[in-house]
Amino acid sequence: MLKLLRLEYLFNLRQLLIMWAILSVYFCYVVARLNSPGVFIVTTSLMVGLAIPFAVVGREDKFKTAALVCSLPVRRSTVVLGKFAATWAVIILGLGYTLLLAALLPFSKVPLAGVLSARNLLVSLFLVSVLFAVILPFTIRFGLTGIIILLVSLQLLGILALILARIFGGARNLVRIFFGAVEGGLRSLLHHQATPGYVLSLAAAIIAVNLLAILVSWALYARRDL
Amino acid sequence: MEYALEVDSLRKEYPGFTLRDVSFALPRGYIMGLIGPNGAGKTTVIKLILNIVRRSGGTVRVFGLDALDREEEVKSRTGFVLDETPFYGYLKSPGVASVIAPFYTKWDRGRFEQLCREFELPWTKRVNALSRGMKMKLALAVALSHGAELILLDEPTSGLDPVFRRELLERLSGLIHDGRTSVVFSTHITSDLERVADYITCLKDGDLVFSATRDEILDHWALVKGGPELFVGEYGKLYKSVSRGPYGVTALTAEREEVQRRLAGRGAVIERIRFDDLIFFLGREGPPKKEAARE
Repeated sequence: MLKLLRLEYLFNLRQLLIMWAILSVYFCYVVARLNSPGVFIVTTSLMVGLAIPFAVVGREDKFKTAALVCSLPVRRSTVVLGKFAATWAVIILGLGYTLLLAALLPFSKVPLAGVLSARNLLVSLFLVSVLFAVILPFTIRFGLTGIIILLVSLQLLGILALILARIFGGARNLVRIFFGAVEGGLRSLLHHQATPGYVLSLAAAIIAVNLLAILVSWALYARRDL
Repeated sequence: MEYALEVDSLRKEYPGFTLRDVSFALPRGYIMGLIGPNGAGKTTVIKLILNIVRRSGGTVRVFGLDALDREEEVKSRTGFVLDETPFYGYLKSPGVASVIAPFYTKWDRGRFEQLCREFELPWTKRVNALSRGMKMKLALAVALSHGAELILLDEPTSGLDPVFRRELLERLSGLIHDGRTSVVFSTHITSDLERVADYITCLKDGDLVFSATRDEILDHWALVKGGPELFVGEYGKLYKSVSRGPYGVTALTAEREEVQRRLAGRGAVIERIRFDDLIFFLGREGPPKKEAARE
């Protein structure tokens, strides 16, 4: 496993440095603008949850190195586990880095005390897990092109939803109800009282989502022809 | 006999192409050439042995071990060169070695460096700045640096200059002298086969045409030349492929002795087969009956 983590590190180093530069600029802007802990958590989680798995998992497809990795004396299930662990390691570093920016930058408006709670951090990990759980198996099955098509489709769907919301107007149309439900869900996740039961439930949900992502990815990677 | 590689009823289905129940075996300490026209399934067979393509059926055993069940052990004893070198383009030769070396317990850094020097591989150039021939040399250096007992090479000589191609073939011949290393390589260059291959496996359109020792092939396969009457009717069944030119008819047969017996005294010329003739005739193989009907 350590050999695979090292391989992922060496293969991804260049891309991660480029992404680090881009994210640094983006998060400097974000911490200067956002003063709500909740919005900061959601924004950061979505950005980190999308960008990092996309970069790490998509790299193999971009540089066509999957054939090499799968020809090495290592099981495919271990290869998936290596990708999974490497991506999570970078995600944790990414989240830590954004917190560091929020804490250290003199123009930061993010109230760090409001962000740094077990509940908020678990919500952040949960959101990242959900995104990663889609991106990892989807990239394994459909490759880099597939994930780009997915992301572009989601964007187009969002635009279409906004247009429909504007056309149909009113507070009770389906699009508004859907977005209202998503917003309500995020609010309740972030504002729910942090009882031990709630914290444990969040932790269990994170584990379950990641476990599912690994199992589906294993099954897909085992069938993949390179 | 101890086998390095046993392929039994290997099957792979792609949309538009099926590798159908291919079986062959390579004893330890020998070199096998995989030949066949483009799209015959040579690369698919090599990828199936390496498990980078998943088989639809059949079994592959390497050193008697199932290549799926004992994947790690089998791969640690196998070296490979793929048709498209899959190294990460931004790494340099030492970087490639440092990524791959930890996966092999028998990795010999000194040997890798020596091979890089022998192959005149630039130490400071990134992989994506190397020519195809240089990338192939790098892949070879990697494949030969961890004491592999089975070496799988997919078109290793394509893109190489004639001098290095000759050196490579000599190196492959040298590898098997220890009696434990075996080599399987696919090629279009038939002179490579004549130079080094002990066994030859021929594929066409996903089917196994034959798998035998070079001497067996030279004994049984032949070119038959003669008048058109020798290639029609009951004789048509003797041929794999028939070519009708302005100066006569030439046919490929896998039944040299039978042809000699049946065409004795009828003016047929039976010639020793060369591998480029074999590839040519198999590549254009069609049902002799249809051609006979046209006559």
